[in-house]
Amino acid sequence: MNSIETHGLSKQYGGALRVNHLDLCVPEGCIYGFLGPNGAGKSTTLKMILGLVRPTQGSIEVLGQPMEHANRLAVLRQVGSLIESPSYYGHLTGEENLRIVQTLRGVPEKNIHEVLQIVRLDNQQSKRVAHYSLGMKQRLGLAAALLGFPKLLILDEPTNGLDPAGIQEMRELICELPTRFGMTVVVSSHLLSEIDQMADQVGIIREGELVFQDTLTRLHDRSQHHLALRTSNNTVAQALLTQQQVECCVEGDCLLLPPLCDTAAADVIRLLSENRLGIFRLEERKKSLEDIFLELTGKAASL
Amino acid sequence: MKLLRLEFYKCRRRKVALVCAAVLAAQLFWFWVVLSRQSEEEMRQGWLLMLYNFAVLDAIVLPLTTAVLASRSCEIEHKGCTLKLLETAATPAQLYRAKLFWGALTLAGLLLLRGILLVGIGKTLGFPGAVPLEQLIWFSVFSWAVSLMLYLLQQGLSLRYANQAVALVCGIFGSFTGLMSLLMPTQLQRFVPWSYYGLLSLVGMDWDEATHVTSFYWLDPPITDFTLLALWALLFFVIGRTLFVRKEV
Repeated sequence: MNSIETHGLSKQYGGALRVNHLDLCVPEGCIYGFLGPNGAGKSTTLKMILGLVRPTQGSIEVLGQPMEHANRLAVLRQVGSLIESPSYYGHLTGEENLRIVQTLRGVPEKNIHEVLQIVRLDNQQSKRVAHYSLGMKQRLGLAAALLGFPKLLILDEPTNGLDPAGIQEMRELICELPTRFGMTVVVSSHLLSEIDQMADQVGIIREGELVFQDTLTRLHDRSQHHLALRTSNNTVAQALLTQQQVECCVEGDCLLLPPLCDTAAADVIRLLSENRLGIFRLEERKKSLEDIFLELTGKAASL
Repeated sequence: MKLLRLEFYKCRRRKVALVCAAVLAAQLFWFWVVLSRQSEEEMRQGWLLMLYNFAVLDAIVLPLTTAVLASRSCEIEHKGCTLKLLETAATPAQLYRAKLFWGALTLAGLLLLRGILLVGIGKTLGFPGAVPLEQLIWFSVFSWAVSLMLYLLQQGLSLRYANQAVALVCGIFGSFTGLMSLLMPTQLQRFVPWSYYGLLSLVGMDWDEATHVTSFYWLDPPITDFTLLALWALLFFVIGRTLFVRKEV
């Protein structure tokens, strides 16, 4: 079963279609990375899934139930969320903030201390949230989202504004949720490296359109391997290699060759050496995930 | 009920009690100044003098009080971006209603306490005659009803605009207009929401130019103006609630 399914989900603001016929599919029990540049429509999509923003068109199913006005709150009882910045009452303590969410959601009181321990805020629970650091506020936001131990957790840019240690800590927390509590986690980000370290499913959105949706492994498969060769005379080297029917092209100060086995690579080196060409560098190159991401989001957009 | 309880919980440390105490202190101080200037003749009409002056004081003080109370309750939601969390567990209409009931109960508490204080003051100062309990109750109910109508306006503004200066400026304008409206003709007063403290006053006043003596007299509860007040309240309720419910967070 899928935890979230959307069909033709769209949102129009003024004349602009900010989310354009999105068909999201979030399998149960996974960490789904929802990627896209700033302003791509990630938050709007997540808000539509939570019923905070009304879709212009399309349908949403959450945990197997259609998300409609009438049953929205019933469905959301099994969903935790942290959208954009954390929600909190600065004049109240961390514990008091969670007590509000606990009362609203009607969950047992013991959950408060349990989630405070999970997000490691148990020794700061009596401090007013206004005096928390941003990282602590984010963790409190996560604690509020976890309070009912929901089946589905939606986290919108949970590492925004955190320092590297905070990001690492948040990432570790998120990664252990599916195995420890059997949750499905949807986490949005504009940073591919972040999603790369957390998610097993990826959806990439660009200008409101879903440009990629599959497993992270499939995304990695898109990276193309090749060899980069730098010699004392690339023009002569290219001519020699072409004669030997080795495809190559010039890119910057290098020649790009297709991936070669060790023997073929040794042959190429020997050929160039015999023709008195100096070999400065031969390295394996692979399209990084960033390159793929840019291709899917930035470059394609500029076409 | 759960949401209403939470409203009181959320307003912990928001110094709401202090706001109410300041309002009462300001009104009582003002009345003390008024009393100190009264002649012995005028003091014989103590109860009437009291209710007349407190109606005027309400017109000046309560519009700003409602603005401050609504702002204390609504500002916390903007400051902490909490609506996107709350609206995953309750509908916007339920949240609006809970805030409204919180305001209504807080104002009721404030005016009930004020009513008790008025009785205490009258008895302590030895105002002649029996305590006009019926008029005191009506007076408190009318003050509450007008304040609630203004609270609806203020809550609408405080929820609509994150910058609470908008709502507070409206409150200050209301206090000023409330005072000015006492000098307006009745027909015009009815078109000014802040003037209903004066319109619903239970005490009238005559000032004799020749003798310079002020005499006060009881007025019947003005049903027409009370009905108009209800219409104003309905208008502010419908507009404020609709704007809040339709707003996407």
